[in-house]
Amino acid sequence: MAVITYLNAISQALRGEMRRDENVILLGEDIAVFGGAFKVTRGFLEEFGEDRVIDTPISESGFTGAACGAAVEGLRPVVEFQFADFIACAFDQIVNYAAKNYYRWGIPMPVVFRGPSGGGFRGGPYHSQNPEAWFTHVPGLKVVQPSTPYDAKGLLAAAIRDNNPVIYFEHKHLYRRIKEDVPDEDYVVPLGVADVKRAGSSLTIVTYGAMVHESLAVAERLSGEGAECEVIDLRSLSPLDRDTFLTSVRKTSRALVVHEAQLTGGFGGEVAAIIAQEAFDVLDAPVTRVAALDVPSPFAAALEDAMLPTQEKIYAAAKEVLEY
Amino acid sequence: MQKLKPARFLDPALDRTSIAPNETLSHDQLITWYRTMRLARACDKKLGALYRQGKIVGAVYLATGQEAICTGVVSLLERNDYFSTVARGLAGWFLRGVEPRHVIARWLGRDVPPSHGRELGLFFADIEHYGIAPYHNGSMASWIPSGAGFALAFKIRKQPRVYVAFTGDGATSPGDFYEGLNFAAIHKLALVVIVENNCFAYSTSTDKQMPVENVADRAPAFNIPSEVAFGNDIFEVRRVAKRAIDHARAGNGPYLVEFKTFRASGHGEHDDMGYVDADLREFWEQRDPLRLFAEYLDGPGGLGETAVKAIDDECTQVIEDAVVWAEAQPEASPDTVGDRLFAP
Repeated sequence: MAVITYLNAISQALRGEMRRDENVILLGEDIAVFGGAFKVTRGFLEEFGEDRVIDTPISESGFTGAACGAAVEGLRPVVEFQFADFIACAFDQIVNYAAKNYYRWGIPMPVVFRGPSGGGFRGGPYHSQNPEAWFTHVPGLKVVQPSTPYDAKGLLAAAIRDNNPVIYFEHKHLYRRIKEDVPDEDYVVPLGVADVKRAGSSLTIVTYGAMVHESLAVAERLSGEGAECEVIDLRSLSPLDRDTFLTSVRKTSRALVVHEAQLTGGFGGEVAAIIAQEAFDVLDAPVTRVAALDVPSPFAAALEDAMLPTQEKIYAAAKEVLEY
Repeated sequence: MQKLKPARFLDPALDRTSIAPNETLSHDQLITWYRTMRLARACDKKLGALYRQGKIVGAVYLATGQEAICTGVVSLLERNDYFSTVARGLAGWFLRGVEPRHVIARWLGRDVPPSHGRELGLFFADIEHYGIAPYHNGSMASWIPSGAGFALAFKIRKQPRVYVAFTGDGATSPGDFYEGLNFAAIHKLALVVIVENNCFAYSTSTDKQMPVENVADRAPAFNIPSEVAFGNDIFEVRRVAKRAIDHARAGNGPYLVEFKTFRASGHGEHDDMGYVDADLREFWEQRDPLRLFAEYLDGPGGLGETAVKAIDDECTQVIEDAVVWAEAQPEASPDTVGDRLFAP
């Protein structure tokens, strides 16, 4: 065990999978010589060589399509989008090729798309987005988003070993801020299994990604006020582990759904709908959502702070649900 | 209406109304290729009828007039080479062993592998049995990047294999055409791009699609070789495609071949081709690939009219039998709609 950052955990998973399976290759912009814009792949070129760590031209659709083809042929490509925002340029290959291939032909396509996502560090409209809901709407894709170093390492290993296209959103704001003890050896966190990050009986907070940490902080504050929140980290959005949050809501009778992406059409709407439909009879308060405002991610600090969900917003919403 | 001058599409230097091989070919080879092309033509004719009879619902897309290209190119491939084409390359599927009865059953939405009713007969992929690689169908440029990916896998594994992408003139405008060829050219991948320039992208003529005379004129952007050739002459197709395939297989990188041809049916059978000038149709009718091949076989090819006619009749019968078989296949059960979304 060693205390490592979320970013190091991602690097460890990549390195571990590349060592255990020579079919794992990496493609992306500036990932080889430069080691990646965030240095996730620093040293990889030296260890694994240029056949397996490939600097691509700036052409997301091109290298995404290439990764898909190579995956069909039995390689296990991991594509790094320099920023998750740029996954839009590869949207067609992902949603029309990767997502549908197995359903159409029964031919597996084991490919992982890594998207450094999320805001909170003044990245502006094109370096801050959380595009997970673009993809959870598409059958045939798996979508995950870890919140901790342990989960980051285990989920990435699981994604690489999965025989389907997996989109792995890693929150940039967690890269160097979040550290914890992580086993040195390889392990997997199974796709499609949520995690109870904090147990409680008063309110269920269903969240994922960076908002897990904000929600946990709010839970601590509310604990001091006598309310114990159960914080569910979904980890995987697709496939979705409904049982874990439904079990929790049946215990607490109150649900708050929190994510950093914009509210409308966000994944939280799906979670809220499932709770409303499946746990209507136990609810003591309306299922409530906290999310970003429905505007692009602005650059200036005052604007971005106003746009993003914050501990204050989560706290206020939680109080409302608790006191309903 | 767009007036189209045939010469705009076919340089007089390429033009011919009679064909002959410049290689030694056996009667068996000639018969195999001719039969493949004739089978595709017979299949298309029947598919059009099934569509008009309401038995094929949705739409049907034919390959009429383009049979020589895929036949000639696929005839040069090794068994472990891959290619991808929509049904405009129907004859290429047949040459690899795909059975007409299965193609027709898929058009009828029957529960046959590999798509089990999930995909139109327009598309086909089955690596295990035919080496026909899966592609995304929304845009015909999209399998140039994925083709580069197959070729990347070949290169990493040091396998002397080739991927051939059959696509059309219309597919040379989307970004994927550039992104895929650019990537393949940088890494010297064994990607052969065959552009069947059939004069129209749906209804839009090539002069409304590109500012260059030939698709092949786009190749210098990738620093790769390219050629323009006459796609209705199977012997020329083989001659040119062999250079492309040999070049790619030897590790020299991608190769772009533009074959001038003509889509003798509509974009789909719902399309009456009202936008095509009668002169242009007549011009290409004289240069129909099956007509040229049959005339060669009947004459200098030494097969004789009776033998050619016998092949034609046999193909018609194969297709008739195929329809009977296909119509007898079960439709996919609604219970299967949610199956096979994810690989285990």
